[in-house]
Amino acid sequence: MFLRWPAIFLVLALSAGHSLCAAQEDPYLAARQAMVGDQIRREGISDPRVLQAMLEVPRHLFVPSGVRSRAYDPRPLPIGEGQTISQPYIVGFMTEILRLKPSDRVLEVGTGSGYQAAIASKIAQEVYTVEIFESLAARSRRTLSDLGLRNVHVRQGDGYYGWEEKAPFDAIIVTCAGGHIPPPLLRQLKNGGRMILPVGGPFLTQNLVFIEKSADGSVSQRNVLPVAFVRLLGH
Amino acid sequence: MVLPVVFLLSAAALADEIFLIRLLSFRFWPHFVPLIVSQAMLGFGGAGLAMHLLRRRIEKAPVTFFAWLVLLAAPSFDLAFRASQAVTFDPFLLLWEPSAWIGFGGFFLLLAVPFFLAGGAIAVPFAFRFGEPGPVYAAAFAGSAAGAVLALPVFFLVGTESLLRVPLALAIAAALFVLGVPAGRLYRGRMAVCGASMLLLFLSPAELRLSPYKDLAVARRLPGAKTLASRSGPSGDYRALFAGGIHSAPGLSFRFAGDIPPQAALFFDGEARGVVPENGGKSPPAYLDGFPFVAAYRMVDRPAVLQFGLRGTEGILTAARNGAASVTVVEPAAEFVALVRSDLSGFSAGLPAAMPTEIRTEGPRNFLAREGSRFDLIEVSEISSATYSSLGIHATGETYLLTREGIRSALSRLTEKGVIAFSGWLKTPPRESVKILATLRLELEKDDPVPASQRIIMVRGWGSFAILARRLPFTGEERVRVERFCGQTGFSIVWPPDGPAAEEGAGEKGLRTAVRRVLAGPSGGREGELFDLSPATDDSPYFHRFLRLRSLPEFRRLLGSQWVPFVEWGVVFLLASLAVSLVLASVCLLVPLAVARLPGKAGGIYLAAYFSALGMAYMLIELTFLKIGILLLGDAIRAATVAIGGFAFFSGLGSAVSGRWESEATMKGRVFPGIAFLALAGFLFLSLSARFLLPMGETTRIAVFIASLGPAAFFMGMPFPSGLSRLAGAAAPAIPYAWGINGFFSVAGASLASVGAMWIGFRGTVAIGGILYLAAGGLFPRVGKTPGS
Repeated sequence: MFLRWPAIFLVLALSAGHSLCAAQEDPYLAARQAMVGDQIRREGISDPRVLQAMLEVPRHLFVPSGVRSRAYDPRPLPIGEGQTISQPYIVGFMTEILRLKPSDRVLEVGTGSGYQAAIASKIAQEVYTVEIFESLAARSRRTLSDLGLRNVHVRQGDGYYGWEEKAPFDAIIVTCAGGHIPPPLLRQLKNGGRMILPVGGPFLTQNLVFIEKSADGSVSQRNVLPVAFVRLLGH
Repeated sequence: MVLPVVFLLSAAALADEIFLIRLLSFRFWPHFVPLIVSQAMLGFGGAGLAMHLLRRRIEKAPVTFFAWLVLLAAPSFDLAFRASQAVTFDPFLLLWEPSAWIGFGGFFLLLAVPFFLAGGAIAVPFAFRFGEPGPVYAAAFAGSAAGAVLALPVFFLVGTESLLRVPLALAIAAALFVLGVPAGRLYRGRMAVCGASMLLLFLSPAELRLSPYKDLAVARRLPGAKTLASRSGPSGDYRALFAGGIHSAPGLSFRFAGDIPPQAALFFDGEARGVVPENGGKSPPAYLDGFPFVAAYRMVDRPAVLQFGLRGTEGILTAARNGAASVTVVEPAAEFVALVRSDLSGFSAGLPAAMPTEIRTEGPRNFLAREGSRFDLIEVSEISSATYSSLGIHATGETYLLTREGIRSALSRLTEKGVIAFSGWLKTPPRESVKILATLRLELEKDDPVPASQRIIMVRGWGSFAILARRLPFTGEERVRVERFCGQTGFSIVWPPDGPAAEEGAGEKGLRTAVRRVLAGPSGGREGELFDLSPATDDSPYFHRFLRLRSLPEFRRLLGSQWVPFVEWGVVFLLASLAVSLVLASVCLLVPLAVARLPGKAGGIYLAAYFSALGMAYMLIELTFLKIGILLLGDAIRAATVAIGGFAFFSGLGSAVSGRWESEATMKGRVFPGIAFLALAGFLFLSLSARFLLPMGETTRIAVFIASLGPAAFFMGMPFPSGLSRLAGAAAPAIPYAWGINGFFSVAGASLASVGAMWIGFRGTVAIGGILYLAAGGLFPRVGKTPGS
């Protein structure tokens, strides 16, 4: 736990060192660094791999051009089809709580913009992501490909049934709000696996539920408090 | 010519107002309702202001101007709505994107155009004196009444998309009357406008563009989505849709490992309202056992079940799976019942044949008051939903079943060991769950010293809760049954506190603390809480309103660090519309004074105060009657139709005879005090005798309701034309200004009526309306005179 802090400072210091020259190429770099500093790290996300991933992935490329200037604001944004990209803190929180490892195979349900998959792909070995809306699946596939993220696999389909052929998974992230935990996803979760899913409205997430499947296959669940994840600004 | 035109245009404007409420509820959410009332009044007020500013030009040919306004109003009832659909604004972005308000403003103003043109046309005869104020005002009121009465059957006869054909047709009829007005070379132009308006009747109606966030909009985009059936009527627009991607089971136990069968999703005004499992009638699916409220079925054997609200067929199928002896469902929306029972019978395989099922189409409180039978299990489901209620969108809606009186009435329908079960979605911090517990405690301990804490069990799932209550204490054996149920499903017992607890997160602990405080702490001691969790009553039946005004500074402090769980968007929209209308009203007051001075004899500030008070007071009284009408008549649209129609009709009569009552002595000594007395007396009569009225037949209830509002409404029709008559004699150019002021303050009054009902109750709101009328009575002698005279 204590070793994490030097790592975080190292990540941020390195990124700051790069910023002078990189800012000329990436006009959003400063905004991204501010996002990680103010919204993610200061709010309690401490996994250096998550912080590094969020520093590296250009969030502005995952949002429609009309709202690009707000891409690093602490809020969800519309991406079309009535769907949204989650606010940065939620993405960081959901990624961290899954305790992803470099060897993990991850299933994401609800690709949306592809941003969450991109973050997970920086940490895990393979990310399989399912999106029900063809237009979003096509757009996110293009964005992820343009960024060279070859370990993300996008499929258009009903994520409720997971991705049977690629199961089991070490971790499952459900990024679209639902009213129950799909039984097929529980079946596709490895023993010892973790799953996180939001519960509540379609764009104003109210609750996160964290599920763990023990080595013997029994399932336990706990709710993650909204006050822990609806924080907006850096306080 | 003037009276029929005013009558028809008023009917068109009111029908437009009622239909826009439905159309915008469908396209967006019900919180747009106060917006529509505001738009209408804004249009009318704006017309008065515009006429005041342009009066020198209009004075040259007022009749021609009148004719053109009527002609242009007709197509605007159709075109303004079509144009508003082309305006792209994202209600979601309104929360934090200032530029989104530009689109919203354009949308708002476009829909106000028909009201502006119709309001202007109706105001011209007053302002430029080619009609006596009394009869013209009476025609306006009579037209409004006709528009309201006409709206009810139209909902049955016409699909949602085609509703605006009706105001268009009424306005075209009005336009035909003005074609004969002499107009020289512009006659052809008038004919062309009228002809074009008629052509609009034959254009296919505008396809309704839903907000992308509406449940129906999302479901429609699912691959393979197809509409199975649709119905519409006064209570709403109902649609059933099937898509492979629909898997609805909010709150289902994560221990359930089976499959959920294909489902048809049902939508009410575009929002999800339950599902119908395919072929569920033959064999109710197993997943229905996996919800917290099923704990209630473990407490009673072979229960006679009463359910409030039809949730597709899920509620009925759950009862059938759990061995219910019979089920009675109370659902006010006949259209929804027909959709589920008839239209989807092929998909659902009907209702389970082995269990007698009755569906009663009436208001819950009417049923409870009338029905003599008793039930072993009463289910009140989804008192908070997983989605929009969590945003507080329904905070401004009346919920008479969840008031102290409503729950008292439900408890009285239980058998000796009967159980009432409430279920809903959990919120953090907890709200609905705690509020219902507080209400139950008060009602259970009212006549019985046994602590309510011994008569309540609360179960929670990972996202939802169920509260079971009854008059007798629960036995140890019954608690064991619930514990066994929780063991099977993975749910936990929140109350009584000695039950097995799930792993306690901070949320679990917060819920347990709140429940302990409300059940075992001092009764009613919730002063220090951030939210208002005190029980709702029939005088302020807003169960979903949790905002405590005195907590606003604390919310402001939290803003930026914590947000959505503390905001009730229904209330925010209401307060925002009140603020906007007050600003507009102030501008309307000041601009004419600065730009186009009022005649000296108009009365200046007294004139402004008089017509402001009338506008505000009328809306406060009318809308509060409408709100109690929802309790008495069982649903909002019926109440709106009868209240708006009744007020318009009787006020029209009052206006027609106002000329005989407009002496200073009569107005000051009789009319204004009469309004204050009759409004309060009529309202108190309805309020105090509600429990006697509720069991009566619908016709009797409507008759009593109209009889209670009629006398006050009759006199409320007099002060406006009487004031205009005084102005006509002393300072006629000020009439448009008075019209505008009245319109703008009616906007404020519409929002203020809801704010008052939510925080000071109905009686207080009507009393304020009465006081404003008394104040207007004091100002009346000064209208049409200089301040010093």
